[in-house]
Amino acid sequence: MTQFRRYDDVKVGDIFPAAPLAFVVDDAVVNGFLAATKDENGLYNGTDGARRAPSMIASVYLIDLLMARRSPPGGIHAKQAIRFHRPILVGETLSIQARVVDKYVRKERPYVVSEFEARGSDGALVSSGRITSIWGRDQ
Amino acid sequence: MSLEQASAPGPRQTSFAVGESLPVLRRQVSQAMINDYAQASGDFNPIHVDPEFARSGPFGRTIAHGLMTLSFVAQMLNEWTRGAFDECGEVDVAFIGPVFADDTVEVSGMVEELLLRDGRSVARIKLICRVGERDILAGSAIQPLQETRKA
Repeated sequence: MTQFRRYDDVKVGDIFPAAPLAFVVDDAVVNGFLAATKDENGLYNGTDGARRAPSMIASVYLIDLLMARRSPPGGIHAKQAIRFHRPILVGETLSIQARVVDKYVRKERPYVVSEFEARGSDGALVSSGRITSIWGRDQ
Repeated sequence: MSLEQASAPGPRQTSFAVGESLPVLRRQVSQAMINDYAQASGDFNPIHVDPEFARSGPFGRTIAHGLMTLSFVAQMLNEWTRGAFDECGEVDVAFIGPVFADDTVEVSGMVEELLLRDGRSVARIKLICRVGERDILAGSAIQPLQETRKA
């Protein structure tokens, strides 16, 4: 059973996960994402060899990343900033990690702000950004 | 195939004009679509997929994932830039209203400002994302201009 983390236990400076998360951008992940979002852009067909992945596949690896925080269910994604630094190809493995940079309570809602980076296997930055979440109710 | 060759066919814009309107993208959202997105993203937060849990939450019913709505924004920006958004685009948004099952989300934008950033010309775009008259998302995108190559 998952041990959820209490809001009071979240500290600015916390890094999650402790070791960078490996995310494989494979065909199944990309196909599932494109189908679910009704994205039929020919950019991702990969008709001549390599296949490009949509940048917003980030919305899949960010969930893996956020799950590493062990926040309770019922939390809300309040804000998102993301910058893409280069395109991604299917078959790449990304290395992702985040750090808590702020936490505050506003209108009785507990917020956590984290900054993340995703890097390709060459170490180059693929995406970076900031996630602001309302923490789920402590269990 | 190189990354450059992976881009969408056709010429990309080499200039933007302040006031230029971006294309409009519409997506009809259903609970089945929300469930499919949960499956694809791995985000099974009950506020999205469990009507009983969601009934006692802040919205009284399930809501779509904010990142799904943001994916619609990225689709629109990629359509407008022929894939350049995937390569060097940027968004900064707040999710200010929920999307419910049976809502039709309409995404667009307008070039608000042209500026220099890190020595590069970029357009700052005011994003528009609504369900009817209700605003869903507030924020902006940054899109660098494609540089024209000199012979």
